[in-house]
Amino acid sequence: MTAEQKLSVVQRWMQAVITNPEGIVDGVASEVAQQEIALDSTTIESFILPSKNCSSIERLSVYGNAYFARLIECLAGEFPTLEHALGEELFGDFALTYLQDYPSTSYTLGNLANHFVNFLVKSRPPRDAEEEPQWPDFLIDLSRIESIYSVIFDGPGEENFELISAVDLQQIPTEKWGGIRFNFADSYRLELFDFPVHEYVTAVRKEESPEVPSPQKTWLAISRRDFIVRRQSLSQLQFNLLKALVEGATLSESIEQSLQAVAHGETAEFDEIATNLQSWFANWTAAGWFHSLQCE
Amino acid sequence: MVAPRLGHDNLGLGVGLRSTHYPYILENEPNVDWFEIISENYMDSQGRPRYVLEQIAERYPIVMHGVSMSIGSSDPLDFDYLNKLKALAKVVDARWVSDHLCWTGVAGRNTHDLLPVPLDEQTLWHVIERIHVVQDVLERPLILENPSTYITFAQSTMPEWEFLTRMAEATDCGLLLDVNNVYVSSVNHDFDPIEYVESVPHERIVQCHLAGHTNMGTYCIDTHDGKVIDPVWELYRLTHQRTGGISTLLEWDADIPPFPEVHAEVLKAKQHMSDQLPINIVDTEAASKPDVSNTAIPQPVVSVGAEVE
Repeated sequence: MTAEQKLSVVQRWMQAVITNPEGIVDGVASEVAQQEIALDSTTIESFILPSKNCSSIERLSVYGNAYFARLIECLAGEFPTLEHALGEELFGDFALTYLQDYPSTSYTLGNLANHFVNFLVKSRPPRDAEEEPQWPDFLIDLSRIESIYSVIFDGPGEENFELISAVDLQQIPTEKWGGIRFNFADSYRLELFDFPVHEYVTAVRKEESPEVPSPQKTWLAISRRDFIVRRQSLSQLQFNLLKALVEGATLSESIEQSLQAVAHGETAEFDEIATNLQSWFANWTAAGWFHSLQCE
Repeated sequence: MVAPRLGHDNLGLGVGLRSTHYPYILENEPNVDWFEIISENYMDSQGRPRYVLEQIAERYPIVMHGVSMSIGSSDPLDFDYLNKLKALAKVVDARWVSDHLCWTGVAGRNTHDLLPVPLDEQTLWHVIERIHVVQDVLERPLILENPSTYITFAQSTMPEWEFLTRMAEATDCGLLLDVNNVYVSSVNHDFDPIEYVESVPHERIVQCHLAGHTNMGTYCIDTHDGKVIDPVWELYRLTHQRTGGISTLLEWDADIPPFPEVHAEVLKAKQHMSDQLPINIVDTEAASKPDVSNTAIPQPVVSVGAEVE
């Protein structure tokens, strides 16, 4: 095999060979490589030259060994807590399968993990709706929160804008509060988890060794301020109120919807809102959650 | 008559900008001559990486170095990518834009590796045609780097330095000569690195890269994880003598030490600029201690982790 091969054929062959998870020898023998250039261990050196010290297979192995190692390292960098929870070997197994199912098609490694959470969701053994969240659900929650942190960290933010201040809110007459609609910061996300994964992530990032937590509904607001990702725990009532506001309802509509959403006694929740609404909004405004507002 | 460095300034001694050094650089404003960025880490960024880059670009000259142009691929060029590259170059006032003589993937995939091309007439004219297109889009000469490679194709008909020379002369593109890559490839492919450096068109070399690598015993891997070894400094000295001086940059991408240590490593180039000793590449077997236990990954590995409260 010394005749010049078309460049596209050479490249499809080499990509098939070096991305084969079983290694270079299996890669050369694979159907997809054979379709491009029919080589075997006796003829490979007529296409890829050996060096003084290394065979053609050994030389191709540098690329083959690097392909998955590099990309698994990148995934581990994006999901350090998930890797901590799973252990390096098991994380590597998941990542290896993921990279075969979803090879990168982007110019940036920033998009490498775009399908990783869905991949883990699809990999989860079937679960009854009634069943309490288990270890796989904890792992999925971890992958979700780390993915959200990455997206928010490098996504749009409000650092160059003036956000609503507490003073802005105080200037609105009380009778007009019910008609306020809030525009949230671009980075703002409301997320519900089955486990308190935010605390687990923080502990791992502090190089602690936290226990895997028990299931516990966890409502979080996640946003970015001064280029740092920040998360805040919410009550279910606060979460529902904010969710309605995010979806464009007025404040009075949102209060109504959030009260309807809680199953138990409405009076206690109404009192909670009435008592705390002002301080909640003072905190949320200070946290930089609101980009602007309109009063009806 | 081609102007030295293709008319570009000699920016002096620079360092590759890495996120682990952001706090030090912003706080201390070190006396480094210039920074090179990995373009793909900033093209889409709307967060801290982009913010920091814009701060640094106000104080230092910036050069953009990419890893995903895939100029040698048989896949179509990605014009969305090229337009983003051009837009970033404008924002940071990039002195030039570089990438590698390589392909990174085919059939829509990206291996995120710098893969070698067969060095033959077919590839040469394919790459030349694509460089013309890229330069039309970017409205500036492209600068291309010799990659570290680990295989050679039987169908290659010319040495890499000849390919680079003909490519540069046909397109008026510039060259980024990575002397560590020359050394690594010379070990892997049994060629004379001095002949390589002597043979490339010196007036078209706009920039030089320095880096550390890993000696695997029977071959070398370009790992960017340590200090520059003496034979690579020898190649640098020769390059400096032949070019009359070019912008020089140190890449350090794994096991990255504190910024002052990285900066100190590139400053060693000064002694090789003034040194007029004859070039003497020592036996490659003895140049660095083999590390056969190393699970080294060739560069590039480029990603930025999120900062969370």
